[in-house]
Amino acid sequence: MLLDIVQNTLDGLAIGSAYGLLAIGFTLIFGVMRRLNIAFGPSIMVGIFAGAWLHSQWSAGMIPVFLATLAGAVLASAYVERISFAAIRGDAALASMASSFAIWMQLEEAVVHVFPGRTYAFPTLQTIPMLEIGPVFLRPEYLAMFLTAAALILLLQWILTRTRFGLEVRTLADNPEAARVSGVNVAQVAFLTFLLAAVIGGVAGFLIAATDGQITPKIGLWATMKGLIAMVIGGLGSLRGALIGGLVLGVVEAQAQWFLGAAGREIVTYTLLFLALVMLPSGLAGRADAGARTEALRRL
Amino acid sequence: MLEIRDIRTSYGKIAALKGVSLDIADGGLTCLLGPNGAGKTTLIWTIAGILKAHSGSMKLDGEEISGMRPHSIVSKGVVTVPENRLVFPEMTVKDNLIAGAFSRRKEKGGGLDDLEEVLERFPRLRERANQEAGTLSGGEQQMLAVGRALMARPKILLMDEPSTGLAPIIVEEIFEIIGRLRDEGRTIFLVEQNAHLALDYADHFYLLEQGHVTFGGRPGEVDHDELIQRAYLGARKAS
Repeated sequence: MLLDIVQNTLDGLAIGSAYGLLAIGFTLIFGVMRRLNIAFGPSIMVGIFAGAWLHSQWSAGMIPVFLATLAGAVLASAYVERISFAAIRGDAALASMASSFAIWMQLEEAVVHVFPGRTYAFPTLQTIPMLEIGPVFLRPEYLAMFLTAAALILLLQWILTRTRFGLEVRTLADNPEAARVSGVNVAQVAFLTFLLAAVIGGVAGFLIAATDGQITPKIGLWATMKGLIAMVIGGLGSLRGALIGGLVLGVVEAQAQWFLGAAGREIVTYTLLFLALVMLPSGLAGRADAGARTEALRRL
Repeated sequence: MLEIRDIRTSYGKIAALKGVSLDIADGGLTCLLGPNGAGKTTLIWTIAGILKAHSGSMKLDGEEISGMRPHSIVSKGVVTVPENRLVFPEMTVKDNLIAGAFSRRKEKGGGLDDLEEVLERFPRLRERANQEAGTLSGGEQQMLAVGRALMARPKILLMDEPSTGLAPIIVEEIFEIIGRLRDEGRTIFLVEQNAHLALDYADHFYLLEQGHVTFGGRPGEVDHDELIQRAYLGARKAS
């Protein structure tokens, strides 16, 4: 029993790191634009299908498939940004969300037309043998998922804190008015942030598809749901919260799957979302940040 | 010099600026006075490009800047110190200052060569360089907002109500800073509620009432008391 919990926690942390990447993608876009891009998951889905297509046509290896996934996700995201965000006024948050929903349907239909079957094969890492550490097992694809996610988060941290572009992203998230009077090219930074989020989401999508070995167009809906739930649990607008939310969601799902089965897992996931909304409306990490902000306001 | 001619700006159907014309002369402090709701902040946001004027022109040394996007206007050297300070509360003081040099990023050294000078000018900011800006006092945040604007090497500094919400003794300190900037020969356009203090420092002033410039001149030429009364209360009917 205890061993099961340890094993589930390890598996859950791996999947959760991919959820964390999805939530970070949502959070980046939300932080800079103050608008929700619900077509984020479907944009990643386009990338995954681009990778699967390369794989089935020319039996391409992991690296070309990986690059094709990123390229597809970035192109689809650029399209979403132009149509649903750049072309819509910044204060019309609802219009952007509704528009990104329409683009979601469009992307999904397009993929269903080009790939008429239900499921497609995706290359996997399962050729590497299972790692055995004492009584627990580490699936190689899970280990790869966790390490890649960790490396990407460190890279993102570096970009945000050490580069001028990262500083611009942070100014926009912190105080958009002040960013504009400081000479930030808001439209350009928003576009680049969208592409950065697409790369992060593309990596997450690739890792997930390479673990499952097969994909359907529903992975778009799935990625949007997982990313949004992880973001809400962690706290809207906090990158640290997004990561924590993803890990918590991954671990809870893995435990529920093991002890309660697939249907039980869904019930537990949505109960977790409900509890997060009711009991921790600012999320796991949001609370501390909100406290700091109140403190700062009080000292003015 | 910035020449503003017949600028009109509206919020939806409500006209806030109804044809404003004024000049901001090089190397001096031009002050804009006026009661609440006269359109002073609207004028600042319009010059900064954040609000769009629907007619009129703004020429910086002969070049039209009306219609440019905010970041382009900053690169032209028209830099705003916004009302209520508007710093980046969750970023360090140093990062706030670096953010001020965005428009100069293509220069050698990324335009950060003034950082030392700004920290020299505001020793309190140097002490708190690695602190989050949200933890600073109001006066320190105002200094940070001024320092951030200086990082852009402004030709014209637009200052919107620097005294808002600050204790009188801090206001004096901020005005000493503004006076020092003026004495260095910088061009400053100051919007201020505190007419009494502003007139002590201004080389030239304008009075904005209900979206029109109704009066202008040099502080020595007019009766301060009457001017201040109009600046606070708006034009009175003959009494």
